Amino acid sequence: MEQIKNDIVDYLKANSFMDNSSSLTDNDSLTQNGIIDSIGLLELMDYICEKYSIEIPEDMLTPENFDSLQGITNMITRLAK
Amino acid sequence: MQVMEETSVNIIEALKGDIDSIALKLRGFIRDQVTGFKKKGVIIGVSGGIDSAVALTLCVQELGKENVYGLLLPEEESAPSSKTLGAEVCESLDVSYEEVPISPILRSLNIYDQKEQIIKRTCPEYDPDIHKTSLVLPDFLNQGLLNVPYIRLIKDGETAARHRLRANDYLELIGLQNVKQRSRMIVQYMYAEKLNYAVCGTTNKTELALGQFVKYGDGGVDLEPLADCYKVQVYAMGKLLNVNEEIIKRPPSADTWSHYTTDEEFYWRMPIQIMDQLLYAQEHQLPLKVIEKNTGLSADTIEKAWRHINRIRDSTEYVRATPPVCYINR
Repeated sequence: MEQIKNDIVDYLKANSFMDNSSSLTDNDSLTQNGIIDSIGLLELMDYICEKYSIEIPEDMLTPENFDSLQGITNMITRLAK
Repeated sequence: MQVMEETSVNIIEALKGDIDSIALKLRGFIRDQVTGFKKKGVIIGVSGGIDSAVALTLCVQELGKENVYGLLLPEEESAPSSKTLGAEVCESLDVSYEEVPISPILRSLNIYDQKEQIIKRTCPEYDPDIHKTSLVLPDFLNQGLLNVPYIRLIKDGETAARHRLRANDYLELIGLQNVKQRSRMIVQYMYAEKLNYAVCGTTNKTELALGQFVKYGDGGVDLEPLADCYKVQVYAMGKLLNVNEEIIKRPPSADTWSHYTTDEEFYWRMPIQIMDQLLYAQEHQLPLKVIEKNTGLSADTIEKAWRHINRIRDSTEYVRATPPVCYINR
């Protein structure tokens, strides 16, 4: 779980969504904190699908699954099983 | 922002109220702008939709039919009804008009081929001979899903497949699609400058709030008479002005996909009556209870919808912005 969270934070920093000095708690909102917008969300989805070799079904494209590190991690864990 | 205290307000009635005087005010605005720009009349792109029908009618009523020129600007993927209805509305007002297909411009830029390549790599089963295509977003109110665009393949009127677009493909596709509206803008200005006319826009307040227009495309105009009228108000004005019933009943669409894709499917993700009530309630800071009563939505859904609307508003700020100027002496 921690590895997934680190991967996501590294991706967000490497792609200029976050400053290198910033940090995120597990439940911080990525949209309400202005970290990702609608295009950033699509890019993050592409990254997740490629990195973890998963397809995200349409009914899992909910704000709960994508708006926080914890939500994203839970979703990847469920789909990667 | 205006704050309204009333708890018994009927939003739809409030939106549809006083349409006669709004129409008069818009007519005065049209005259003032055209006169102020020292132009002799207006050019309007007539799409067969309600907005351009209302704008055209107001311009004709105020400026006279001889000072208004309609342009029908179809392309390969336009619905045939767009041209037919556009011509009908011009003829009913006895306005001079001309059809200028923009397909040659699009072909010269290879727009159709590039679009087809994106659809093919997104949808492996795509066969242009049997499928029509559409770009859609999931329904918001019933499913609460994120703003994730899908290509939909349609065969014999039924959905044959749906595939999520990758971010890069989505961005490229939007750039290609927007060439359609930008080509129309070029043609409109070619005629406007020849006739010494202004270009009249047809963007309404709902579209403006949601960034539902193309910067320097349909947003590239000289005046926007409808931009402070919500779509529901434009419909009410259409009825007042006796716009063809077929145009009023036609689901609104940007009409840029081979399958007629409605604005509800791609932009609003909810019925327009709900979207406009939410936007109006936000603008007038109506109490949640009033909005629940008017829309039939739960407080939770309204809050979610507002967050969704606010995200769209924020992410489309760039579309509404004029180029910032660095004033060196301030």
